[in-house]
Amino acid sequence: MNRNGAIIAGLLTLALAATGCGSSNPPSSGPSSGPLKLAFVQGVIGDAFYVTMQCGIEEEAAKLGATVSTNGPQKFDPSLQTPVLQSVIASQPNAILIAPTDVSAMQQPIQQAVQQNIKVVLVDTTLKDPSVAASAIASDNLGGGKAAFDAIQQLAPNGGKVLVVSVQPGISTTDDRAKGFQDAVKANPAYQDLGVQYSNNDPQKAAQIVSAALQANPDIVGIFATNLFSAEGSATGLRQSGRQGVVKIVGFDAGPDQVKALQDGTVQALVAQQPALIGRDGVTQAVAALKGQPVTKSIGTGFTVLTQANLNTPEGQAAVYKTAC
Amino acid sequence: MTSLASTRDDTAFLDDEGPRSRLARLAQLQALQILLVLALIVLIFAVLRPDTFLTPFNIRGTVVNTSILAVLGVGMTFVIITGGIDLSVGSVLVFSGVIASKVMGAMGGDGWGTAIVGILVACLCGLGWGLINGLLIAKARVPPLIVTLGTLGMALGFSQIITGGIDLREAPDVLVNTVGFGNIVGQIPVLSTIALVVVVLGAIVLHRTKFGLYTFAVGSNAEAGRRVGVRVDLHLIKVYALAGLVAGFAGILNLSFFQSTTISGQSNTNLNVIAGVVIGGTSLFGGVGTIFGTVVGLFIPSVLQNGFVILGVQSFWQQVVVGAVLIAAVYVDQARRAAALRGSSLQFPFLSRFGSGPRKVNR
Repeated sequence: MNRNGAIIAGLLTLALAATGCGSSNPPSSGPSSGPLKLAFVQGVIGDAFYVTMQCGIEEEAAKLGATVSTNGPQKFDPSLQTPVLQSVIASQPNAILIAPTDVSAMQQPIQQAVQQNIKVVLVDTTLKDPSVAASAIASDNLGGGKAAFDAIQQLAPNGGKVLVVSVQPGISTTDDRAKGFQDAVKANPAYQDLGVQYSNNDPQKAAQIVSAALQANPDIVGIFATNLFSAEGSATGLRQSGRQGVVKIVGFDAGPDQVKALQDGTVQALVAQQPALIGRDGVTQAVAALKGQPVTKSIGTGFTVLTQANLNTPEGQAAVYKTAC
Repeated sequence: MTSLASTRDDTAFLDDEGPRSRLARLAQLQALQILLVLALIVLIFAVLRPDTFLTPFNIRGTVVNTSILAVLGVGMTFVIITGGIDLSVGSVLVFSGVIASKVMGAMGGDGWGTAIVGILVACLCGLGWGLINGLLIAKARVPPLIVTLGTLGMALGFSQIITGGIDLREAPDVLVNTVGFGNIVGQIPVLSTIALVVVVLGAIVLHRTKFGLYTFAVGSNAEAGRRVGVRVDLHLIKVYALAGLVAGFAGILNLSFFQSTTISGQSNTNLNVIAGVVIGGTSLFGGVGTIFGTVVGLFIPSVLQNGFVILGVQSFWQQVVVGAVLIAAVYVDQARRAAALRGSSLQFPFLSRFGSGPRKVNR
């Protein structure tokens, strides 16, 4: 290598050294010795829901004397999550906690982890065939959808048309939330279900959907937005149409933006999941599986409905998602 | 990969032009240097995590994750050697996957018949977008950056119109089980073998055929090419059509591997491929480049991401390091190119600027 090559090499070594210093993770020992090594693969990085889950995981892991490393893709997409998962598998953790980004596309990559004798626990989202995992922990999303409809019934007691804004089909969690909501709507003749529209996790698209739906049906009384970005976008859509307050929005999740929207009165209620509890349960199940103790194959966690009235109570504050541990 | 390395000396046909031959040699040199950089990265990770990084599982995984990008990289190398750019590859990949999935879904069946139709449809879709790019660039004289930025949006937009923005999953079982997850023998994945075939074919076409020679000619001096009888317009159309064709083929590979059209996952694919091509020593000014360099250049981001995850370093760092390597690679290309055009030695003491290099000033 001549000097030019040497410069690149130098730069690179420097960069690698810098990143080595920047790492906050404790140095891990060999695969068989020392504390249990857990790995958490998020659905997408930088999302308050997964950050809160990470906090729960780290808290519980510290209690049980296990180490955790957390990674995730830049977008909620299997083509970006697969390489991350593959690298995580290569790092030979004892167990992986993962939120699969697709029910079918992630099946095979997760199977590879199982083939490497790594225990897998599914957190939040699940797979077409979840039997490969030691345990699957998620919010009882059907119940969450029903809780959202209960909230709409309280906010718009006279009945009317209701719309669901969801992410995209094939995501088990949001599909169930929408189904739980729609089932509840069908059971009540005072309300008319306008069906599910998909925002593809893009707030702008959700805003367009809501604007267009209001054009077609000016008498909508309530909107259920099944995830973070759909709720943000739906709120924007209502604001653009000047219908805020008239049309009630029930959001799912309680990230900083939803909470602000709730405080501002753009969103009237939030169905908050318990991501930290999902994370804690995930660690408990993973460690139990590793120690050969009995595991619970499927755990459903509950919800907290947040409104302006209960937001500032200690209970309400505990339900709000964190942006840092 | 060693078979590819042996094709590096084929740019010798440019030897009768003084500075050109130097430039051609530069490309080979840079491809080789970048291989050393890759080797260094691998070495660092291997030393830091000896028991996990160089395991067959991890090597196989990294190669598989780079395979689809490598297929796209073949087309992109041709385009960049002509002095052009193709931003539309990621969208064309998605579009081809969507149409192929629609057609295969409509045909039904999980056999090879359906699969082969799907492969052909995907390739044709890609070829179609490539021809549109080529015609607009060569005949309508719209700059490649703008044309392909336009088709990037159009191909993605049409994909979302057709699907409603919702990923399709129709892929015959034979495609998923063989192309997506099958092995040729032992642990040699079918997907990567197919990519290797495309890469080798690309290298042969670029370095051993008249088509490749014309590509270099168009990129280094289109006017000179025209005067010696190269039909520059026609050749540009062919090169963009080729880039589209491989993007379409990559679309069916992507669909087989992920069983999903990954509409939202491909937004940075074009930039990742371009970065790989440029890191591999292909000059954005055209006329210089190798397929071998591209493959090495594409492995650098993959290996970095993989290594960082294994080390437990936040994966955001991968982008920072790849960015630095990209800039360094282009800096080296620029500096050497300037030196070569001045007719001075290929070595030039820019290290002395920092007072650390040997003070050999030979001008």
